[in-house]
Amino acid sequence: MRTPLLDLKRCQIKINSTVLLDDFSFHVNNGEVLSIMGPSGCGKSTLLGYLSGTLSHDFIATGQIELDGKPIQQLNTIKRKVGILYQSPLLFPHMTNLENLLFATPSNKNTSHKERVEMAMGKLNELGLETKAHELPEVLSGGQQARIALLRALLAEPQYLLLDEPFSKLDPELRQSVRSFTLEQIQKANIPTVLVTHDMEDAQAMQSKIITLQTQN
Amino acid sequence: MVNRLYQAAINMPLLYISAISLTLLLLVPIIIGLAGTILPAFNYLPALAHMEFGLTPWRSLLAAPELMGSIKLTLVSGLLATMISFVLAFSLVAVLYQTRWMSSIRHSLAPILAIPHAAIAIGMVFLLSPSGWIVRLLSPWLTGYERPPTWVSVQDAYGLSLVLALVVKETPFLLFVILSSLPQLKPQALLQVGASMGYPPLTVWRKVILPALYPLIRFPLLIVLAFSLTVVDLTLVIGPNSPSTFAVTLFHWFTDVDLERRFTASAGAVLLMAIILLSALAWELFYRVFIYFDRKRWGNGKRHTNAYLFFKTGAYLYLGNMGIALLSLLVLPIWAFTHRWRFPDILPSEWSLKKIQQLAPILVELACASLLIAVVSSLISIAISLVMLEQKRCCSTVTQWFDRLICWPMLLPQVGFLFGIQVFFIWSDVNGTVFAVLALHTLYVLPYVYLTLSAPYLSFNQQYYTQAICVTHSPARSYFLIKLAMLKPILWSAFALGVAVSFAQYLPTLIAGEGRINTLTTEAVALAASGDRKKVGNMAMLQALFPLLIFMLAQWLPYSWTKYRLTLKSTLKKGALKKTQPIK
Repeated sequence: MRTPLLDLKRCQIKINSTVLLDDFSFHVNNGEVLSIMGPSGCGKSTLLGYLSGTLSHDFIATGQIELDGKPIQQLNTIKRKVGILYQSPLLFPHMTNLENLLFATPSNKNTSHKERVEMAMGKLNELGLETKAHELPEVLSGGQQARIALLRALLAEPQYLLLDEPFSKLDPELRQSVRSFTLEQIQKANIPTVLVTHDMEDAQAMQSKIITLQTQN
Repeated sequence: MVNRLYQAAINMPLLYISAISLTLLLLVPIIIGLAGTILPAFNYLPALAHMEFGLTPWRSLLAAPELMGSIKLTLVSGLLATMISFVLAFSLVAVLYQTRWMSSIRHSLAPILAIPHAAIAIGMVFLLSPSGWIVRLLSPWLTGYERPPTWVSVQDAYGLSLVLALVVKETPFLLFVILSSLPQLKPQALLQVGASMGYPPLTVWRKVILPALYPLIRFPLLIVLAFSLTVVDLTLVIGPNSPSTFAVTLFHWFTDVDLERRFTASAGAVLLMAIILLSALAWELFYRVFIYFDRKRWGNGKRHTNAYLFFKTGAYLYLGNMGIALLSLLVLPIWAFTHRWRFPDILPSEWSLKKIQQLAPILVELACASLLIAVVSSLISIAISLVMLEQKRCCSTVTQWFDRLICWPMLLPQVGFLFGIQVFFIWSDVNGTVFAVLALHTLYVLPYVYLTLSAPYLSFNQQYYTQAICVTHSPARSYFLIKLAMLKPILWSAFALGVAVSFAQYLPTLIAGEGRINTLTTEAVALAASGDRKKVGNMAMLQALFPLLIFMLAQWLPYSWTKYRLTLKSTLKKGALKKTQPIK
């Protein structure tokens, strides 16, 4: 059995006097996906906000988030080293596809700019998009943009990944191939992943454990 | 049935003809203004018996001793003010985005934007001059001054006080533009994506949001640049005199008693247009070069930039700017009600209503004229905008030319363009009439009103209107009772903005009014150099007060009216119920 890497313990999230989540816990292992499903307003995206450290101050959240046994809920988003993907790929429109990937690639003393470019170009090669490296993201299809957004998130070397309905804007025929690509990359990166989705097919395609949230009354 | 009614409502040939006519009507003054500037620049003006083309005006322009000095001053003050305003506005957004501070600053923008720039400039003179409020606040305990110092702090030869005044007035406008454009970029999500890759917010603002934002605000920035290079009234109040900026030099030439000077001035006005064009090109070139070198940094992977101090300083300077604006406005009523205020007293030793009572007849006359012109030109602009936007919604190809032409009055230098129109006004014998003043005010109010109404009007959910036609069977009634009623808040905002723009107009009133029709702005600017601070304070106070009051009214009235109407309705209903209750 693998070590549970991302661990949420006894989480409670409230807004004003409304409790969105109460005594909620889960754990996700490396390379594993946990899908969180439920109706609108049940707190799925709010939970991702808590896990990523981007939760609005209007919410009151308690509970421990542990990464590899260490509590991280007090850390800000930057220090948590979390990768986030939204419905929209959010590729930076003024940067070329290569620059979008280079933006995420960390720089350190041991890596030269040339090596970083090679690394990013390698990722574009994997997608067969090396010819589009110096073009703006607008020339790419929705599926290609989604793939680059995932690679960009992973190039930043996150310790865990949060996916907020990343397939919902894709056409049905594209959706399956992007799902497979995403699962493949997550397993390759070997990091825990939390997926929020409305679609049961998304959850099943990602071979994930599923938690269904209910609206709290 | 609904479809038929709806089609009948939108396929109005009257609307189509009106849209075409209004486009032509907008084209006419632009052509006349340009022709009236360009032709005299080449020595052709039949009204002054110059029937042959020639280059004499250009020779005389190039021989003018103040030419180079005033062009240099114009370029330095215009480019510097635009650059500083942009940097300060962007820095403030980057540092305070999504904080309570930003929300308070956002709410304070509308009143600052409503106040005419000449009023703020007059307040700044009262504040920054050697005998101004700031030196009084610091004297004698800190400076030791018992008398006003002799150094120059306003109307300085380098134009620094002019740059400061332009920055104070333009920064809130650019902040407003940036805040309006930002939602298109989803900055919150970009900041989160950046943070997830280890980038602090200011680095994301610097590397991601700034380059993506610039194309969205390019045009408003060019408007600010064109304004800064050509402004006359503000420069007359706070700018240097010898030489002054090129626009003010041209203004003096155009109003010279020697009519031959007009030809030199026209050549200068054409040169000023070329200066605006070249400055805009230089600005764009600078941006391209900056992006070319900056691009290498976007992908360098470095999470921290050294822009922190830069952004934070910019944000603090913005706040300092707003402090100056606030104090400048505060000092106007103080001077208006002053009887005796000796240096270095912080406040007047004696207050009095004497001056305002003395000036009451002229103030009432000026205020009425200003309000009448502002209200009528704003209403005309709203009516034109509604016709054009309704046509744009039905068929945008018809309004394409109007959309392009509407921006020209904002970009062309008033100082040449308006004198060109004046020739036509004199020829058609309307100069010096209210009609001429209204026409020119409408020309300048219309772009602001149209651009303000555009997005909300075009994004109105047309299904409400369709539903209304279905119920009332009257397109016109549905339009007024449903569509315009639902757009009430933005119509009021556009009206208030129109009034503010009209109140700020100096040259259009001066040129079309020929001194027979005066407003608070023309009088305040004319008196600014007189040294009678009490009189100028009264004028400038009212000049700032009316647009401010109308802005507040525009914010309050639409919501209060709806609330009042609902209360009235429920009261009437209760009354009706009581009447129908059976008597026990």
